[in-house]
Amino acid sequence: MPVYVDVDRCIGCRSCEVACHRVHGGIGHIHVHFVGDFASVPIFCHHCEEASCTIACFSGALYKDGERTAFDVKKCTGCGLCSLACPYGVVWTDKIAHKCDLCEGRAEPACVATCPANALTTDYELASRRERARAARAAAKGGRR
Amino acid sequence: MTKVLVPTICPYCGAGCGFFIAVEKERAVGIEYMLDHPVSEGALCSKGNAALEIVGHQERLTSPLKRRGDGWAKISWEEAIGLAAKGLGDAKKRRGPASIAFLASSKCTNEENYLIEKLARLLGSPHVDNCARLCHAPSVVGLNRTLGAAGMTNPIPDVASSRCIFIIGSNLAENHPVISRWVHRAKDAGALVIVADPRETHTSWMADIFLQLAPGTDVALLNGMAHVIIREGLLDGEYIARNTKGFEVLAESVRDFTPEKAAEITGVTADEIVRAARAYASSPASSILYSMGITQHTTGTDNVQAVSNLALICGHLGRSGTGVMPLRGQNNVQGACDMGALAEFYPGYRKASDPETIKYFSSAWEADGLPTGPGLTATEMIEAATSGDVGAMYIVGEDPANSDPSSRRVRKALDALDFLVVQDVFMTATVQAADLVLPGAVWAEKEGSFTNTERRVQWSSKALDPPGSALSDREIICRVALSFGLDFDYPDAASVLAEIKRTVPQYAGITRDRLETGGLIWPCPSHDHPGTPILHSSGFKLAEGRAAIVPVPYRPAVEVANEDYPFVLTTGRAAVHHNAGSMTRRSPSLVSREPDLYVEINPTDAAKLKVVDGDPVTVTTLRGETEAHARLSVGVKEGVVFMPFHFPGTNVLTQETTDPEARIPEFKVSACRISRRD
Repeated sequence: MPVYVDVDRCIGCRSCEVACHRVHGGIGHIHVHFVGDFASVPIFCHHCEEASCTIACFSGALYKDGERTAFDVKKCTGCGLCSLACPYGVVWTDKIAHKCDLCEGRAEPACVATCPANALTTDYELASRRERARAARAAAKGGRR
Repeated sequence: MTKVLVPTICPYCGAGCGFFIAVEKERAVGIEYMLDHPVSEGALCSKGNAALEIVGHQERLTSPLKRRGDGWAKISWEEAIGLAAKGLGDAKKRRGPASIAFLASSKCTNEENYLIEKLARLLGSPHVDNCARLCHAPSVVGLNRTLGAAGMTNPIPDVASSRCIFIIGSNLAENHPVISRWVHRAKDAGALVIVADPRETHTSWMADIFLQLAPGTDVALLNGMAHVIIREGLLDGEYIARNTKGFEVLAESVRDFTPEKAAEITGVTADEIVRAARAYASSPASSILYSMGITQHTTGTDNVQAVSNLALICGHLGRSGTGVMPLRGQNNVQGACDMGALAEFYPGYRKASDPETIKYFSSAWEADGLPTGPGLTATEMIEAATSGDVGAMYIVGEDPANSDPSSRRVRKALDALDFLVVQDVFMTATVQAADLVLPGAVWAEKEGSFTNTERRVQWSSKALDPPGSALSDREIICRVALSFGLDFDYPDAASVLAEIKRTVPQYAGITRDRLETGGLIWPCPSHDHPGTPILHSSGFKLAEGRAAIVPVPYRPAVEVANEDYPFVLTTGRAAVHHNAGSMTRRSPSLVSREPDLYVEINPTDAAKLKVVDGDPVTVTTLRGETEAHARLSVGVKEGVVFMPFHFPGTNVLTQETTDPEARIPEFKVSACRISRRD
């Protein structure tokens, strides 16, 4: 269950950043990026189906576990190839690699639970359902909102 | 030892989100989200998530302190209480009880505020106020006059039932982030959102119609909208006839206030004003959410009345999805006001000037010689300290030296006092001016009830002991009162709430046992009463049961941009900070995200000033000057600049001119000039 973003809903409050930071002992894996003064979007691991980081990782520390791109810290050599391979810049390395672990052990990732605006969700369909509902209402009103 | 989850209420804004503190071996080890909380549904903003960072903070005050030369000496509680009694007692003996002034705290519980109020009154002082004066005093004055009650009319989740949400002078996406979840839920159901603000904010991202008005021109915008609604017959004639009085006078007063005229004053186009007016008036259920952008003006009371006029002529009150919603900034600013920590009231909004009030409390408290009000307001206390009319102050959990306008003047006034006792958790600028410091407790270290912006009274439990020899604020106030021989025998917060239940009619049905998750929304007049989420559903608590429509003439702001000071400075908040910043600036994960004071400048203006993003600049007003980093933003219009007030520099610049009725200072409009610092 990767985390999905409804970009229309992000209010740039950075609550997800602080929550992620808090539950991961001071190291956060999500970053709110501001697009000028007009929008913000949280950036974090997409848990790609074909994850380049897992392909680059020669030690097997990064691997696919169902939908999740999992990380076995014991195998990590800290080489940094995953950081180079990630197309979204959301895996970074100091002594070891750091990335979103979907808050293993929690019922729901902290960023999803804490998001005040419900911009983050584990429901893949949610954002598109909302969009379809908006479009349907607009159509019912003759194309005007 | 096992982990215990202690339910508490967030110490930051007025939304009143709940969360659990996980406690293990008497230490806080984490936060767990409260999924069944009616307002937050488990969500927390960045400040809530960082709340525990201030609990065990190394800069906490852990012992009573007395001033010794330029420094401090740690003293025992016995000595501290003795000094407090002597300092306040001397002032009383020398110049009478009216020479002592009290600032209660909108961070403290209802019970603590009630005790401060009671202590002040029993000592004979008419001067008790709290920082509501600096945020929603105009709502108290304005809404009491027009609607007969000053609180938010509808609860926060009810915003989701709204079909048109008009947000004016509130950046709720940054300051009350969880409210945006309910706005978005309304949008999902097809609601239209109008945002009026001098800046493009995170809140304006949610808007379908965005009205970027010039600072201080809210009355012009609202009058222009009222004109359109009346001219086009979009009003609710039946509602007006049945529930209000004064409509004809309003109609007459806005007859000439065409959208074109409003456009000229506000800088918003006439078309947009017409569109917004039509949308608000013609939706089946519209709500207005407002905040400091409406109140912190010399025209604050006018602004509030203009807001309530709009709701009244459209009949958008008393039903689900409607309402007038002043969003309050602190966890218990509503409760502090309910408990009578306001210059003009005793507990329960009984007027301090009314002999009946004095009679009632003389009997309830078995006391003689209770003072008649209204007393001095928070801002007037500072003036009185300067002139010497007030010789001693007891300040609990407030930081006027940072949060009041023209703060250099405030610091001088505090220094001029014969005796200043401050009860707080950190060494704030106000504490630095004190003669005696009493270390209090943060929310997690005490129990009691907090009343959020929706009038929801919620119980917050104690998770930890205060650090060192710090005590809960209830215990400190009781000890001070006992030293005056007053009978303050309150072993716990519940016993104070039991007395509040007897003396505050709105809380007459509220007991500790009834305050489970979600609490109760006042008025709650009896034991079996479920609370009153929606006000005004059957008339108003005013003469004849009718609301008052009060026409409001447009008055420009006191200061306007001029040759020497060519920019209009407006102030506000940032998402990761709170108020004067005494907590958030000490919270590592918050201050690291917004470490310094900045000033937002439009790039065109910046080019003329030869300033690029990040440049150090000096901002100067008639009151003083301050240093800040330039932040270039097209979110502010040319000629307007913005600074957050979480840093000490900002209120050095703002002016002390106040609203003639509510006595709130003009924080939102100051003429300034900017120069690059090289």
